[in-house]
Amino acid sequence: MKMVRLPVLLCFFMLQAPAAEALTLPGWMRFWKSETAAGQPLVSQKRIQVGEFSGGTGGSARQALLDELTSSRDFVLTNEKPDYIVAGSSIGGRVNGRLVDASGKELMERTYAAPGLDENAKALADDVILAITGKPGLATSRIVFVSDKTGMKQVYLCDPDGREVLQVTHHSYGAVSPSLNADGSAVAYTSYRSGFPVVQWLDLGQGWERTVTDTPGTSFGAAFAPDGQRIALVMSFLGNPEIFVTDLNTNTAACISDTTGAPSSPAWHPDGKQVIFSDDRGGGPRLYIAEVPETNESEAKLLRWRTGYSFSTDPEFSPDGKSVAFTTRIDGALAVVVKGWPNGPARVIQSGGAAHPSWSPNGQTLCYAQHGTLYVHQLASGQRRAILEKHGQITEPRWMK
Amino acid sequence: MSAAAMKTLPLLSSVFLLLAASSCSVMPSLSREQTPTVVFALGTRDGFSSPLQGALKPACPALVFTGETYALTGGHRKALGTLAAEWSSGKPRYLITGYVAPGLPEDFARSLTERRAQAVRQQLIESGIEASHLQTVGFGFDSSPSSPTSSVVVIFQQ
Repeated sequence: MKMVRLPVLLCFFMLQAPAAEALTLPGWMRFWKSETAAGQPLVSQKRIQVGEFSGGTGGSARQALLDELTSSRDFVLTNEKPDYIVAGSSIGGRVNGRLVDASGKELMERTYAAPGLDENAKALADDVILAITGKPGLATSRIVFVSDKTGMKQVYLCDPDGREVLQVTHHSYGAVSPSLNADGSAVAYTSYRSGFPVVQWLDLGQGWERTVTDTPGTSFGAAFAPDGQRIALVMSFLGNPEIFVTDLNTNTAACISDTTGAPSSPAWHPDGKQVIFSDDRGGGPRLYIAEVPETNESEAKLLRWRTGYSFSTDPEFSPDGKSVAFTTRIDGALAVVVKGWPNGPARVIQSGGAAHPSWSPNGQTLCYAQHGTLYVHQLASGQRRAILEKHGQITEPRWMK
Repeated sequence: MSAAAMKTLPLLSSVFLLLAASSCSVMPSLSREQTPTVVFALGTRDGFSSPLQGALKPACPALVFTGETYALTGGHRKALGTLAAEWSSGKPRYLITGYVAPGLPEDFARSLTERRAQAVRQQLIESGIEASHLQTVGFGFDSSPSSPTSSVVVIFQQ
Protein backbone atom coordinates (compact mmCIF):
# COMPACT_ATOMS: atom_id res chain seq x y z
CA MET A 1 0.00 0.00 0.00
CA LYS A 2 2.83 2.31 0.98
CA MET A 3 4.69 1.51 -2.22
CA VAL A 4 1.78 2.36 -4.45
CA ARG A 5 0.76 5.63 -2.94
CA LEU A 6 3.83 7.70 -3.83
CA PRO A 7 3.97 7.06 -7.59
CA VAL A 8 0.29 7.78 -7.82
CA LEU A 9 0.75 10.97 -5.88
CA LEU A 10 3.66 12.11 -8.02
CA CYS A 11 1.84 11.42 -11.26
CA PHE A 12 -1.14 13.35 -10.00
CA PHE A 13 0.90 16.42 -9.23
CA MET A 14 2.88 16.31 -12.44
CA LEU A 15 -0.27 16.22 -14.49
CA GLN A 16 -2.41 18.59 -12.48
CA ALA A 17 -0.01 21.24 -11.28
CA PRO A 18 -0.53 24.04 -13.82
CA ALA A 19 -4.30 23.72 -13.98
CA ALA A 20 -4.90 23.36 -10.28
CA GLU A 21 -2.74 26.27 -9.24
CA ALA A 22 -5.59 28.55 -8.23
CA LEU A 23 -7.38 25.91 -6.21
CA THR A 24 -5.21 24.03 -3.77
CA LEU A 25 -1.60 23.97 -4.79
CA PRO A 26 0.96 25.84 -2.73
CA GLY A 27 2.78 28.75 -4.28
CA TRP A 28 6.04 26.86 -4.76
CA MET A 29 4.46 24.55 -7.31
CA ARG A 30 3.43 27.32 -9.71
CA PHE A 31 5.36 27.51 -12.91
CA TRP A 32 6.02 31.14 -13.61
CA LYS A 33 9.46 32.54 -14.14
CA SER A 34 10.87 33.68 -10.86
CA GLU A 35 13.70 35.94 -9.89
CA THR A 36 16.72 34.12 -8.62
CA ALA A 37 19.25 35.14 -6.05
CA ALA A 38 21.94 34.23 -8.53
CA GLY A 39 20.55 36.62 -11.12
CA GLN A 40 19.57 39.57 -8.96
CA PRO A 41 20.96 42.92 -10.00
CA LEU A 42 23.35 44.65 -7.69
CA VAL A 43 21.62 47.16 -5.47
CA SER A 44 23.29 50.57 -5.38
CA GLN A 45 25.34 50.94 -2.23
CA LYS A 46 24.12 53.30 0.49
CA ARG A 47 26.42 55.99 1.83
CA ILE A 48 26.98 55.85 5.55
CA GLN A 49 29.00 57.96 7.95
CA VAL A 50 30.39 56.51 11.15
CA GLY A 51 30.39 59.49 13.47
CA GLU A 52 31.92 60.06 16.87
CA PHE A 53 31.76 57.52 19.65
CA SER A 54 32.33 59.18 22.98
CA GLY A 55 33.59 57.52 26.15
CA GLY A 56 36.74 55.70 27.21
CA THR A 57 36.44 52.86 24.68
CA GLY A 58 34.64 55.00 22.10
CA GLY A 59 37.60 55.07 19.71
CA SER A 60 37.95 51.31 19.76
CA ALA A 61 34.22 50.83 19.31
CA ARG A 62 34.18 53.18 16.32
CA GLN A 63 37.10 51.40 14.68
CA ALA A 64 35.54 47.97 15.27
CA LEU A 65 32.27 49.20 13.75
CA LEU A 66 34.14 50.64 10.77
CA ASP A 67 35.87 47.30 10.22
CA GLU A 68 32.60 45.38 10.33
CA LEU A 69 30.76 47.74 7.99
CA THR A 70 33.69 47.71 5.57
CA SER A 71 33.86 43.92 5.45
CA SER A 72 30.10 43.69 4.90
CA ARG A 73 30.54 45.48 1.53
CA ASP A 74 26.99 46.79 1.85
CA PHE A 75 27.94 50.46 2.16
CA VAL A 76 30.17 53.27 0.99
CA LEU A 77 31.77 54.72 4.10
CA THR A 78 31.98 58.49 3.69
CA ASN A 79 31.73 61.78 5.48
CA GLU A 80 30.25 63.59 2.46
CA LYS A 81 26.50 63.61 1.91
CA PRO A 82 25.81 60.39 3.79
CA ASP A 83 22.42 58.72 3.53
CA TYR A 84 22.80 57.50 7.10
CA ILE A 85 24.84 58.43 10.14
CA VAL A 86 25.68 56.12 13.02
CA ALA A 87 27.21 57.44 16.21
CA GLY A 88 27.16 56.66 19.88
CA SER A 89 29.27 56.01 22.93
CA SER A 90 31.26 53.27 24.57
CA ILE A 91 32.40 52.91 28.16
CA GLY A 92 34.13 49.81 29.49
CA GLY A 93 33.32 47.84 26.37
CA ARG A 94 29.59 48.49 26.55
CA VAL A 95 28.40 50.14 23.33
CA ASN A 96 25.49 52.43 22.63
CA GLY A 97 24.66 53.14 19.00
CA ARG A 98 22.22 55.44 17.28
CA LEU A 99 21.36 55.41 13.59
CA VAL A 100 19.71 58.36 11.82
CA ASP A 101 18.97 59.01 8.17
CA ALA A 102 19.93 62.09 6.17
CA SER A 103 16.94 64.03 7.45
CA GLY A 104 17.89 63.32 11.06
CA LYS A 105 15.11 60.82 11.64
CA GLU A 106 16.13 58.19 14.18
CA LEU A 107 15.96 54.67 12.76
CA MET A 108 17.47 52.78 15.66
CA GLU A 109 19.04 53.23 19.05
CA ARG A 110 20.30 50.35 21.17
CA THR A 111 22.76 49.49 23.93
CA TYR A 112 24.95 46.39 23.74
CA ALA A 113 26.29 45.03 27.01
CA ALA A 114 27.96 41.71 26.14
CA PRO A 115 31.31 41.12 27.91
CA GLY A 116 33.49 41.97 24.87
CA LEU A 117 33.71 45.24 22.97
CA ASP A 118 34.21 43.46 19.63
CA GLU A 119 31.12 41.37 20.23
CA ASN A 120 29.09 44.51 20.94
CA ALA A 121 30.45 46.31 17.88
CA LYS A 122 29.52 43.33 15.69
CA ALA A 123 26.01 43.24 17.09
CA LEU A 124 25.66 46.98 16.41
CA ALA A 125 26.97 46.49 12.86
CA ASP A 126 24.44 43.72 12.21
CA ASP A 127 21.60 45.89 13.53
CA VAL A 128 22.69 48.84 11.36
CA ILE A 129 22.81 46.59 8.29
CA LEU A 130 19.40 45.11 9.06
CA ALA A 131 17.86 48.54 9.67
CA ILE A 132 19.14 49.91 6.35
CA THR A 133 19.04 46.93 4.00
CA GLY A 134 16.33 44.81 5.59
CA LYS A 135 18.70 41.84 5.47
CA PRO A 136 20.62 40.46 8.42
CA GLY A 137 24.28 41.29 8.80
CA LEU A 138 26.83 38.52 9.05
CA ALA A 139 29.11 39.86 11.78
CA THR A 140 27.48 37.82 14.53
CA SER A 141 26.57 34.82 12.38
CA ARG A 142 28.42 31.53 12.70
CA ILE A 143 29.34 28.61 10.47
CA VAL A 144 29.29 25.12 11.93
CA PHE A 145 31.43 22.43 10.35
CA VAL A 146 33.20 19.12 10.92
CA SER A 147 36.97 18.77 11.12
CA ASP A 148 39.22 15.81 11.85
CA LYS A 149 41.98 18.06 13.18
CA THR A 150 42.21 16.12 16.45
CA GLY A 151 42.28 12.78 14.63
CA MET A 152 38.57 12.25 15.28
CA LYS A 153 35.78 14.04 13.45
CA GLN A 154 34.40 16.75 15.73
CA VAL A 155 32.06 19.73 15.43
CA TYR A 156 33.45 23.28 15.28
CA LEU A 157 32.18 26.84 14.91
CA CYS A 158 33.77 29.88 13.31
CA ASP A 159 32.73 33.34 12.20
CA PRO A 160 32.27 34.25 8.50
CA ASP A 161 35.91 35.34 8.30
CA GLY A 162 37.16 31.98 9.57
CA ARG A 163 38.18 33.52 12.88
CA GLU A 164 37.03 32.75 16.41
CA VAL A 165 37.23 29.00 15.76
CA LEU A 166 35.60 27.10 18.59
CA GLN A 167 35.64 23.34 19.05
CA VAL A 168 32.11 22.50 20.12
CA THR A 169 32.45 18.77 20.82
CA HIS A 170 35.41 17.17 22.61
CA HIS A 171 34.59 13.49 22.36
CA SER A 172 36.67 10.37 22.00
CA TYR A 173 34.09 9.23 19.47
CA GLY A 174 32.97 10.84 16.21
CA ALA A 175 30.63 13.84 15.98
CA VAL A 176 29.38 14.65 12.47
CA SER A 177 26.48 16.07 10.40
CA PRO A 178 25.96 19.28 12.44
CA SER A 179 23.27 21.92 12.10
CA LEU A 180 22.80 25.24 13.90
CA ASN A 181 19.40 26.54 14.95
CA ALA A 182 18.22 29.96 13.79
CA ASP A 183 19.68 32.02 16.63
CA GLY A 184 22.86 30.00 16.91
CA SER A 185 22.11 28.87 20.46
CA ALA A 186 22.00 25.13 19.76
CA VAL A 187 23.63 22.52 17.56
CA ALA A 188 22.11 19.22 16.46
CA TYR A 189 24.62 16.62 15.35
CA THR A 190 25.16 12.89 14.93
CA SER A 191 27.14 11.26 17.69
CA TYR A 192 28.81 7.84 17.70
CA ARG A 193 28.99 7.72 21.49
CA SER A 194 27.39 4.28 21.72
CA GLY A 195 29.16 3.06 18.60
CA PHE A 196 25.94 3.64 16.71
CA PRO A 197 24.77 6.93 15.20
CA VAL A 198 22.34 8.91 17.36
CA VAL A 199 21.24 12.53 16.98
CA GLN A 200 22.12 14.85 19.85
CA TRP A 201 20.88 18.35 20.67
CA LEU A 202 23.52 20.55 22.29
CA ASP A 203 22.69 23.86 24.00
CA LEU A 204 25.68 26.10 23.32
CA GLY A 205 24.80 28.58 26.04
CA GLN A 206 24.27 26.16 28.91
CA GLY A 207 26.49 23.37 27.64
CA TRP A 208 24.02 20.56 28.30
CA GLU A 209 22.80 18.16 25.66
CA ARG A 210 20.09 15.61 25.17
CA THR A 211 19.40 12.79 22.77
CA VAL A 212 16.88 13.58 20.05
CA THR A 213 16.74 10.08 18.59
CA ASP A 214 18.35 6.80 19.56
CA THR A 215 16.55 4.38 17.29
CA PRO A 216 17.82 1.16 15.69
CA GLY A 217 19.58 1.57 12.39
CA THR A 218 21.04 4.92 11.41
CA SER A 219 20.10 8.50 12.37
CA PHE A 220 21.75 11.54 10.81
CA GLY A 221 21.23 14.68 8.73
CA ALA A 222 19.47 16.78 11.37
CA ALA A 223 18.20 20.17 10.14
CA PHE A 224 16.43 22.69 12.35
CA ALA A 225 13.12 24.12 11.14
CA PRO A 226 13.01 27.94 11.05
CA ASP A 227 10.88 27.93 14.21
CA GLY A 228 13.56 25.92 16.03
CA GLN A 229 10.91 23.58 17.40
CA ARG A 230 11.23 20.79 14.84
CA ILE A 231 14.08 18.87 13.29
CA ALA A 232 14.07 17.04 9.97
CA LEU A 233 16.41 14.06 9.87
CA VAL A 234 17.00 10.60 8.44
CA MET A 235 16.11 7.51 10.47
CA SER A 236 16.00 3.90 9.32
CA PHE A 237 14.28 1.97 12.11
CA LEU A 238 11.32 1.20 9.83
CA GLY A 239 13.49 -1.11 7.73
CA ASN A 240 14.70 1.46 5.22
CA PRO A 241 16.00 5.02 5.54
CA GLU A 242 13.26 7.67 5.60
CA ILE A 243 13.04 11.42 6.23
CA PHE A 244 11.27 12.22 9.49
CA VAL A 245 10.18 15.46 11.11
CA THR A 246 10.45 15.30 14.87
CA ASP A 247 8.82 17.76 17.26
CA LEU A 248 11.30 18.72 19.99
CA ASN A 249 8.53 19.62 22.41
CA THR A 250 6.52 16.42 22.16
CA ASN A 251 9.27 14.00 21.06
CA THR A 252 7.02 12.69 18.31
CA ALA A 253 8.14 12.02 14.75
CA ALA A 254 6.33 11.77 11.42
CA CYS A 255 7.67 10.20 8.25
CA ILE A 256 7.45 12.53 5.23
CA SER A 257 9.48 10.79 2.52
CA ASP A 258 7.67 7.51 1.73
CA THR A 259 10.59 5.98 -0.15
CA THR A 260 12.38 2.67 -0.50
CA GLY A 261 15.50 4.45 -1.75
CA ALA A 262 18.37 6.16 0.01
CA PRO A 263 17.16 9.59 1.22
CA SER A 264 19.57 12.11 2.76
CA SER A 265 20.35 15.73 3.62
CA PRO A 266 16.94 17.26 4.43
CA ALA A 267 16.69 21.07 4.58
CA TRP A 268 13.78 23.39 5.29
CA HIS A 269 12.14 26.02 3.14
CA PRO A 270 12.22 29.36 4.99
CA ASP A 271 8.44 29.19 5.37
CA GLY A 272 8.82 26.05 7.50
CA LYS A 273 6.21 24.21 5.47
CA GLN A 274 8.36 22.23 3.04
CA VAL A 275 11.45 20.09 3.32
CA ILE A 276 13.76 19.48 0.38
CA PHE A 277 15.94 16.38 0.41
CA SER A 278 17.96 14.08 -1.79
CA ASP A 279 16.78 10.55 -2.56
CA ASP A 280 18.40 7.82 -4.61
CA ARG A 281 15.65 5.54 -5.84
CA GLY A 282 17.95 3.55 -8.07
CA GLY A 283 19.24 6.01 -10.64
CA GLY A 284 21.38 8.31 -8.52
CA PRO A 285 20.42 10.89 -5.93
CA ARG A 286 17.75 13.38 -7.10
CA LEU A 287 15.93 16.14 -5.23
CA TYR A 288 12.44 15.85 -3.77
CA ILE A 289 10.24 18.25 -1.87
CA ALA A 290 7.84 17.16 0.83
CA GLU A 291 5.11 19.46 2.02
CA VAL A 292 5.06 18.90 5.75
CA PRO A 293 1.52 18.29 6.98
CA GLU A 294 0.25 20.56 9.72
CA THR A 295 -1.65 17.81 11.47
CA ASN A 296 -0.80 14.21 12.22
CA GLU A 297 -3.87 13.07 10.35
CA SER A 298 -2.80 14.31 6.91
CA GLU A 299 -0.03 12.86 4.74
CA ALA A 300 3.03 14.63 3.41
CA LYS A 301 2.80 15.57 -0.28
CA LEU A 302 5.82 14.73 -2.37
CA LEU A 303 7.18 16.27 -5.54
CA ARG A 304 10.30 15.49 -7.48
CA TRP A 305 12.21 18.60 -8.49
CA ARG A 306 14.17 18.26 -11.72
CA THR A 307 17.51 20.02 -11.47
CA GLY A 308 18.91 18.92 -14.81
CA TYR A 309 21.58 16.88 -13.02
CA SER A 310 21.45 13.13 -12.44
CA PHE A 311 23.38 13.53 -9.20
CA SER A 312 22.02 16.08 -6.73
CA THR A 313 22.58 16.11 -2.98
CA ASP A 314 22.88 18.49 -0.01
CA PRO A 315 20.15 20.90 -1.14
CA GLU A 316 19.49 24.09 0.77
CA PHE A 317 16.97 26.87 0.11
CA SER A 318 18.19 30.46 -0.01
CA PRO A 319 16.88 32.65 2.84
CA ASP A 320 14.33 34.26 0.49
CA GLY A 321 13.21 30.84 -0.75
CA LYS A 322 13.82 31.76 -4.38
CA SER A 323 16.87 29.57 -5.08
CA VAL A 324 18.32 26.23 -4.06
CA ALA A 325 22.02 25.46 -3.73
CA PHE A 326 23.07 21.83 -3.98
CA THR A 327 25.98 19.51 -4.67
CA THR A 328 26.23 17.78 -8.02
CA ARG A 329 28.93 15.98 -9.96
CA ILE A 330 30.53 17.46 -13.07
CA ASP A 331 33.21 15.56 -14.98
CA GLY A 332 33.59 13.15 -12.10
CA ALA A 333 34.18 15.80 -9.43
CA LEU A 334 31.74 17.30 -6.96
CA ALA A 335 30.49 20.81 -7.72
CA VAL A 336 28.23 23.42 -6.18
CA VAL A 337 25.27 24.67 -8.22
CA VAL A 338 22.56 27.26 -7.56
CA LYS A 339 19.23 26.95 -9.37
CA GLY A 340 16.16 29.19 -9.24
CA TRP A 341 13.19 27.80 -7.40
CA PRO A 342 10.83 26.47 -8.64
CA ASN A 343 11.96 27.36 -12.15
CA GLY A 344 15.10 29.15 -13.11
CA PRO A 345 18.48 28.69 -14.66
CA ALA A 346 21.13 26.59 -12.98
CA ARG A 347 24.49 28.24 -12.39
CA VAL A 348 27.66 26.38 -11.51
CA ILE A 349 29.17 28.25 -8.58
CA GLN A 350 32.27 26.15 -8.09
CA SER A 351 33.41 22.86 -9.58
CA GLY A 352 36.49 20.71 -8.94
CA GLY A 353 35.47 19.12 -5.65
CA ALA A 354 33.33 21.82 -4.00
CA ALA A 355 30.54 20.35 -1.89
CA HIS A 356 27.93 20.95 0.77
CA PRO A 357 26.88 24.55 0.05
CA SER A 358 25.13 26.62 2.68
CA TRP A 359 23.64 30.11 2.36
CA SER A 360 24.59 33.10 4.45
CA PRO A 361 21.68 34.67 6.36
CA ASN A 362 21.52 37.58 3.88
CA GLY A 363 21.46 35.24 0.86
CA GLN A 364 24.39 36.97 -0.83
CA THR A 365 27.09 34.44 -0.04
CA LEU A 366 27.58 30.68 0.01
CA CYS A 367 29.99 28.70 2.10
CA TYR A 368 31.19 25.27 1.03
CA ALA A 369 34.04 22.84 1.57
CA GLN A 370 36.55 21.99 -1.13
CA HIS A 371 39.49 19.63 -0.58
CA GLY A 372 39.25 20.13 3.16
CA THR A 373 39.23 23.95 3.03
CA LEU A 374 36.30 26.17 4.00
CA TYR A 375 35.36 28.81 1.43
CA VAL A 376 32.91 31.70 1.25
CA HIS A 377 31.75 32.73 -2.22
CA GLN A 378 30.10 36.06 -3.08
CA LEU A 379 27.36 35.28 -5.59
CA ALA A 380 27.08 38.74 -7.14
CA SER A 381 30.79 39.24 -7.79
CA GLY A 382 31.79 35.59 -8.14
CA GLN A 383 34.71 36.23 -5.81
CA ARG A 384 35.58 33.59 -3.29
CA ARG A 385 38.12 33.26 -0.53
CA ALA A 386 39.37 30.50 1.70
CA ILE A 387 38.44 31.49 5.22
CA LEU A 388 39.78 28.43 7.02
CA GLU A 389 42.45 26.06 5.75
CA LYS A 390 44.99 23.68 7.26
CA HIS A 391 42.54 23.01 10.05
CA GLY A 392 42.29 19.29 9.44
CA GLN A 393 39.90 18.06 6.78
CA ILE A 394 36.92 20.42 6.90
CA THR A 395 33.57 19.01 5.74
CA GLU A 396 29.83 19.59 6.07
CA PRO A 397 29.74 23.37 6.69
CA ARG A 398 26.40 24.91 7.48
CA TRP A 399 25.72 28.59 7.99
CA MET A 400 23.47 29.78 10.76
CA LYS A 401 20.19 31.16 9.42
CA MET B 1 12.02 -11.82 -54.14
CA SER B 2 11.09 -15.34 -55.20
CA ALA B 3 7.67 -16.94 -54.52
CA ALA B 4 9.27 -19.53 -52.23
CA ALA B 5 10.84 -16.82 -50.17
CA MET B 6 7.52 -14.96 -49.98
CA LYS B 7 5.86 -18.14 -48.62
CA THR B 8 8.51 -18.78 -45.97
CA LEU B 9 8.69 -15.17 -44.78
CA PRO B 10 5.56 -15.31 -42.55
CA LEU B 11 6.73 -18.61 -41.12
CA LEU B 12 10.17 -17.25 -40.31
CA SER B 13 8.63 -14.13 -38.80
CA SER B 14 6.37 -16.22 -36.59
CA VAL B 15 9.27 -18.37 -35.40
CA PHE B 16 11.32 -15.27 -34.63
CA LEU B 17 8.49 -13.63 -32.69
CA LEU B 18 7.87 -16.84 -30.76
CA LEU B 19 11.51 -17.09 -29.80
CA ALA B 20 11.65 -13.44 -28.88
CA ALA B 21 8.54 -13.66 -26.73
CA SER B 22 9.75 -16.74 -24.91
CA SER B 23 13.15 -15.19 -24.25
CA CYS B 24 11.49 -12.09 -22.79
CA SER B 25 10.04 -14.18 -20.00
CA VAL B 26 13.49 -15.11 -18.77
CA MET B 27 15.19 -11.80 -19.41
CA PRO B 28 16.45 -10.09 -16.29
CA SER B 29 14.38 -7.20 -15.13
CA LEU B 30 15.48 -3.81 -16.41
CA SER B 31 14.59 -2.18 -13.14
CA ARG B 32 17.54 -1.72 -10.82
CA GLU B 33 16.04 -3.43 -7.87
CA GLN B 34 12.90 -5.30 -7.11
CA THR B 35 11.07 -3.54 -4.33
CA PRO B 36 10.44 -5.94 -1.47
CA THR B 37 6.77 -6.57 -0.81
CA VAL B 38 7.26 -6.54 2.95
CA VAL B 39 9.79 -4.39 4.75
CA PHE B 40 10.70 -5.58 8.24
CA ALA B 41 11.21 -2.87 10.84
CA LEU B 42 14.28 -3.13 13.00
CA GLY B 43 13.92 -4.51 16.49
CA THR B 44 15.69 -3.26 19.58
CA ARG B 45 19.44 -2.67 19.36
CA ASP B 46 20.01 -3.74 22.97
CA GLY B 47 22.83 -6.25 23.27
CA PHE B 48 24.37 -5.51 19.89
CA SER B 49 28.02 -4.43 19.85
CA SER B 50 29.42 -1.90 17.41
CA PRO B 51 32.69 -2.48 15.55
CA LEU B 52 33.64 1.04 16.68
CA GLN B 53 33.87 -0.21 20.25
CA GLY B 54 36.05 -3.24 19.66
CA ALA B 55 37.05 -5.89 17.18
CA LEU B 56 34.19 -8.06 15.97
CA LYS B 57 34.38 -11.23 13.94
CA PRO B 58 33.00 -11.08 10.41
CA ALA B 59 30.52 -13.85 9.73
CA CYS B 60 31.43 -14.10 6.05
CA PRO B 61 33.64 -12.33 3.52
CA ALA B 62 32.79 -8.67 2.96
CA LEU B 63 30.23 -8.00 0.23
CA VAL B 64 31.75 -5.59 -2.29
CA PHE B 65 29.55 -3.01 -4.04
CA THR B 66 30.52 -1.05 -7.10
CA GLY B 67 29.40 2.43 -8.09
CA GLU B 68 26.53 3.84 -6.10
CA THR B 69 24.06 1.01 -6.43
CA TYR B 70 22.41 -0.73 -3.50
CA ALA B 71 21.08 -3.61 -5.56
CA LEU B 72 22.41 -7.05 -4.64
CA THR B 73 24.27 -9.10 -7.22
CA GLY B 74 24.07 -12.83 -7.82
CA GLY B 75 27.34 -13.22 -5.93
CA HIS B 76 25.89 -11.38 -2.94
CA ARG B 77 22.80 -13.59 -2.94
CA LYS B 78 24.89 -16.74 -3.13
CA ALA B 79 27.08 -15.70 -0.18
CA LEU B 80 24.06 -14.66 1.86
CA GLY B 81 22.30 -17.93 1.04
CA THR B 82 25.25 -19.84 2.45
CA LEU B 83 25.23 -17.71 5.58
CA ALA B 84 21.49 -18.19 6.02
CA ALA B 85 21.85 -21.95 5.65
CA GLU B 86 24.45 -22.02 8.42
CA TRP B 87 22.41 -19.76 10.68
CA SER B 88 19.86 -22.33 11.82
CA SER B 89 22.48 -24.39 13.68
CA GLY B 90 23.31 -21.77 16.33
CA LYS B 91 20.95 -18.92 15.45
CA PRO B 92 23.54 -16.17 16.07
CA ARG B 93 22.73 -12.49 15.81
CA TYR B 94 24.32 -10.40 13.09
CA LEU B 95 25.14 -6.70 12.80
CA ILE B 96 25.16 -5.66 9.15
CA THR B 97 27.42 -2.63 8.60
CA GLY B 98 27.82 -0.54 5.48
CA TYR B 99 30.97 1.39 4.52
CA VAL B 100 31.95 3.46 1.52
CA ALA B 101 35.20 4.98 0.33
CA PRO B 102 35.61 8.77 0.81
CA GLY B 103 34.59 10.95 -2.10
CA LEU B 104 30.81 11.01 -1.94
CA PRO B 105 28.86 13.73 -0.13
CA GLU B 106 28.87 12.68 3.54
CA ASP B 107 25.12 12.50 4.12
CA PHE B 108 24.52 10.59 0.91
CA ALA B 109 27.29 8.16 1.87
CA ARG B 110 25.60 7.45 5.21
CA SER B 111 22.25 6.84 3.57
CA LEU B 112 23.68 4.72 0.76
CA THR B 113 25.58 2.46 3.15
CA GLU B 114 22.56 2.08 5.39
CA ARG B 115 20.42 1.24 2.36
CA ARG B 116 22.94 -1.41 1.27
CA ALA B 117 22.94 -2.89 4.77
CA GLN B 118 19.12 -2.93 4.69
CA ALA B 119 19.15 -4.69 1.31
CA VAL B 120 21.43 -7.37 2.76
CA ARG B 121 19.18 -7.68 5.81
CA GLN B 122 16.12 -8.08 3.62
CA GLN B 123 17.81 -10.84 1.64
CA LEU B 124 18.83 -12.67 4.82
CA ILE B 125 15.27 -12.46 6.13
CA GLU B 126 13.91 -13.84 2.88
CA SER B 127 16.49 -16.63 3.15
CA GLY B 128 15.16 -17.69 6.53
CA ILE B 129 16.92 -15.69 9.24
CA GLU B 130 14.67 -14.18 11.89
CA ALA B 131 14.35 -10.41 11.52
CA SER B 132 14.97 -9.81 15.23
CA HIS B 133 18.45 -11.34 14.88
CA LEU B 134 19.57 -8.71 12.38
CA GLN B 135 20.57 -5.08 12.96
CA THR B 136 21.94 -2.60 10.44
CA VAL B 137 24.08 0.51 10.53
CA GLY B 138 25.47 2.62 7.71
CA PHE B 139 28.72 4.37 8.64
CA GLY B 140 29.35 6.11 5.33
CA PHE B 141 32.99 7.00 5.75
CA ASP B 142 32.63 8.28 9.32
CA SER B 143 34.12 5.22 10.97
CA SER B 144 37.50 4.85 12.61
CA PRO B 145 40.62 4.36 10.47
CA SER B 146 40.72 0.65 11.32
CA SER B 147 37.42 0.08 9.58
CA PRO B 148 37.04 -0.80 5.91
CA THR B 149 37.48 2.16 3.62
CA SER B 150 36.13 0.60 0.45
CA SER B 151 32.51 0.17 -0.59
CA VAL B 152 31.58 -2.96 1.33
CA VAL B 153 28.96 -4.41 3.60
CA VAL B 154 30.45 -6.40 6.47
CA ILE B 155 28.32 -8.78 8.54
CA PHE B 156 29.58 -9.09 12.10
CA GLN B 157 28.56 -11.99 14.29
CA GLN B 158 27.54 -10.83 17.79
